[in-house]
Amino acid sequence: VSLFQQYRPLRDTYDELFTGEARPRPEFEHTVEVLGASTSAECAFNQGLAEKALFNQGVTFSVYSDNRGSEKIFPYCVLPRVISAKDWDHLDRGLHQRVRALGMFLDDIYGDQRILKEKRIPADLVLGAKNYLPLLNGVKPPGGVRIHVAGIDLIRDPQGTFRVLEDNLRTPSGVSYVLENRLITKRVLPRVLDRARVQPIDHYPTRLAEALASVSPADPASSSVVVLTPGSYNSAYFEHSYLARQMGIELVEAPDLFVDGDEVFVRTTRGPRRVHVIYRRTDETFLDPEVFRPDSLLGVRGIMKSYAAGKVALCNAPGNGVADDKAIYPFVPEMIRFYLSSEPILEQVETFLCMRDDHRRYVLEHLGDLVVKAVDEAGGYGMLMGPQSTAAERDDFKKKILAEPRRYIAQGRVELSTTPTWIGDKEVVEPRRIDLRPYIVTSRQGSWVMPGGLTRVALVEGSYVVNSSQGGGSKDTWVQKARS
Amino acid sequence: MISRVADYCFWFGRYLERAESTARVLTVTRALALDGNLTPEQCWLPVLITSGNEPVYLEKYGKEAVEDERVQEFSTWEETNLSSIRRSIAGARENARSIRELISLEVWVNINELHNWMRHSGARTEYNHHRYDFYRRVRESIQLILGLLRGTMLHDTPLDFIWFGLLLERSNQTARILDVQHHMTNMLVSTHQVLDTSLWLSLLRACSGFEPFMKRSRGRVSGDAVAAFLILEPHFPRSVTYCVHSALDSLSKIRPPAAHELPGGRALERLHVLDSWLKAQTPQGLAAPGAVHEVLTHVVDETQQICGDVAQELFGYS
Repeated sequence: VSLFQQYRPLRDTYDELFTGEARPRPEFEHTVEVLGASTSAECAFNQGLAEKALFNQGVTFSVYSDNRGSEKIFPYCVLPRVISAKDWDHLDRGLHQRVRALGMFLDDIYGDQRILKEKRIPADLVLGAKNYLPLLNGVKPPGGVRIHVAGIDLIRDPQGTFRVLEDNLRTPSGVSYVLENRLITKRVLPRVLDRARVQPIDHYPTRLAEALASVSPADPASSSVVVLTPGSYNSAYFEHSYLARQMGIELVEAPDLFVDGDEVFVRTTRGPRRVHVIYRRTDETFLDPEVFRPDSLLGVRGIMKSYAAGKVALCNAPGNGVADDKAIYPFVPEMIRFYLSSEPILEQVETFLCMRDDHRRYVLEHLGDLVVKAVDEAGGYGMLMGPQSTAAERDDFKKKILAEPRRYIAQGRVELSTTPTWIGDKEVVEPRRIDLRPYIVTSRQGSWVMPGGLTRVALVEGSYVVNSSQGGGSKDTWVQKARS
Repeated sequence: MISRVADYCFWFGRYLERAESTARVLTVTRALALDGNLTPEQCWLPVLITSGNEPVYLEKYGKEAVEDERVQEFSTWEETNLSSIRRSIAGARENARSIRELISLEVWVNINELHNWMRHSGARTEYNHHRYDFYRRVRESIQLILGLLRGTMLHDTPLDFIWFGLLLERSNQTARILDVQHHMTNMLVSTHQVLDTSLWLSLLRACSGFEPFMKRSRGRVSGDAVAAFLILEPHFPRSVTYCVHSALDSLSKIRPPAAHELPGGRALERLHVLDSWLKAQTPQGLAAPGAVHEVLTHVVDETQQICGDVAQELFGYS
C-alpha cells in the first residue's frame, strides 16, 4: 500500500507531485514510487528521528518575541519537495538572467544612472527608496561584485508556472537549513535519496568561500576572510556560525574589528591582523556608527571609509536594498530588457504601486481581494492578507496607505502550489502550500545557482504563510539529475 | 585567534571541569555520609566551603539547614548558585554555542544533549530516583566531551585555550577540596574524635585519586601522604603540580616564551614562577604545621592573578 494512497490534491491548486486526478505526474512516477514505498508507521518513525537529530544538533533559530532569546528548532518535514530536471533548467537560466540584471542596475544607480535618465524607471521611485544610499555614489565595490549571495523567492501558480515573488539581495538567510535538511535526509532516507537521482548541494560552502576570496582587494590565496555576525542572540546565529564552520573561516562580532588608517583589523590573541573580505550578516544600518546611526553602539567605526577606499570587500555590498525594494520589483523585467536586451525568462506577480494614483484607487477599492505589503518589511510582517482580513484591519491599512503611499504595494493573492506533507498529529500525508528560495552565489568569475534551495511549507491547514516566525516549516528540496 | 573567541574557549573548559568536579564531590560526600560517625554539618559544610558558596547558603537557609538533601539540591540545581551543576553545564553550553564554528560536531552534539537533558524532566526523574546514576551520567558525559575534544579537534590554539582553562580550574578545584578537607580533618583530630581513614579515602575519591594514590603509597594512608600526593605527584593528572605544569605547557603553545613581541608575557612569566615554586616543594616541607594551607592558598591566589593577566593580555579586557 502506497503512503500516498489516500492523498488528494486541493482543487484549483497546482500540486507538485500529483495531477488533479491524484495520479503521479509523469516525470515523478519513479520518485513517488520510491517515496511511497514506506508505511505511515515508518514515515512517523523517520520524522521523529529527524526531529531528534535536529534538536540534539542545536539546529535552531532564536525567537524574538521571547526576550530570553530562547531557541526553537525549525520544523522539518521528512517528505521532500521535488523539482524536475526540465523545470530546474528553466529556473537556473531565469535566475542567472535576473541576478545579472539586478547587479547591473545597482552598478548603474550608484554610477551614471542611465536607466533613470532614459526614463525606463521613475527616478523619484528609485532615489526616494529608503535603502538607496547616495553616499555610495561613485564607489566601486572590490572585485566588481555587489550581489555575492542572492535569495530569490518564487511561488508556483495554479497553472504550474514559477513566478518571482520577491528578491533578497541584502543578507538572505536560510541556506544553512537547506544544507542541514539534506544531511538529515541522507541519514533517515538514504536509499530513497539514492534511487531518486537527486543533484548534490553540499559544495555550497566551497562555492561561497571561493566567491568571497575572489573579490578580495589582495591576493585571494593569502586573504583573510571572516563572517560578521550580530551575535549569538540573533535569530540567524546558527546559520552564521554554521557557514563560518563549513567554510573554515572565523566568525567575528563587530567589537572584534577596528579600523586603522583605512584598513580593517581583527583583534587576536597575537595582536591585530588585517581583514580583506567580510561576509557580513549584519544589517547595513548597523555596519558603521560613523555613517548610519551615531547613537548605535553596534558596528565598526570607519568601516565604510575603508570600503570606499577599496581596502575591504563587504559582502553583500551596502546599498543593495534599493534593488530589492518591493516597489522597485515591478520594474525588474524592464531592467532585464534595458541592460541585457532580452525578454525576462521568469514571470513575476502583478503588482500595484500605491504611490501611483490609478493603482492606489484600484487597491483601495479591492482591499478585500489583494495582499498589501510594506515595501521595507520582511518575514511576513507589515502585511494585509485581504481575503482573510476583517473590516477593521482593512480600514487600518487604508489609513496607512493614504498616509504613506510610497511605502505600500499590493498584489493579487496567488494560490501557492502544494506538495505532499507529513502531518504528524494525524499520521497522514496531506497537501500543504510551499514556496521556494534558490540561492545564487556570484564571484568575480560569474554566478552559480545552487540546485534546489529552501522550500518553506505552511504547516497549518489552509494557511498561506510559510515564515518560520509564523508556523512555517521546511523541506529538503530535490532537483532531479538530467537524464544523460 | 580572535581574543573574544579565546575567552569563550577558556571558559568552556572551565565550566566543563567545574560541573564534573562538583558532581564528583557530591557523589563522594554522599558515600562518606553513609559511613556514619559524622554529623550532617561535618559532611556537607566542606562542600559549600569548597565551592565558595558557604556565605550565600547560610544566609539563605541558616546553619541548621546544612544537611544532605538541601546541599545537594543547592549544588546541583540552584539557579542563583553560579557554580551549581545546572549553571555550569548551561555556561559550558552557552560558551560552546558561541564557538560553535571551532568545536567539532561530536563535541557540540554531546554538550547540547547534556544541556537539553538537564533542562527537561529526564534529569530530574533520574536525580529523584537514581541519584548515583544521575551524578555518574553528568561525570561521564563530560569525560566523553573531554575525550572528543582531544580526539576530534585540531590540536592548535582553540584547543590549547580550552585545555588551559580546564587545567587552571582543575588545579583550583583540587587545591580547594584538599584545603577544606585538610582543615576539617585536623579539627576533628584535635577534638579527639576517632579519625577514620575513610575521610582521607573520600578526599582521594573526590579527586579520582584513590587508586593512583594506592599504587604510589602501597596501602599506607595518612593525612600527610594524601596531601603530598594531591599537591606534588607529577604523574597524577589532577594533582596541583601536574595541572599547573600542564597549564604552563598549554600557555607556552599559545604564547611561545621566546616570542617577546606577542602579548601574554606577564601571565606566562607568573605561571612559570608558580610552576618552579611548586617543583621546589617537598613532602617533608608540607608536613610542617600550617604548610599545606599556606601552599594551597598561594596556588589559588596565583591562579587568580594569572587569570586576570590572561584576560587583560590575551582576551582584551580593559
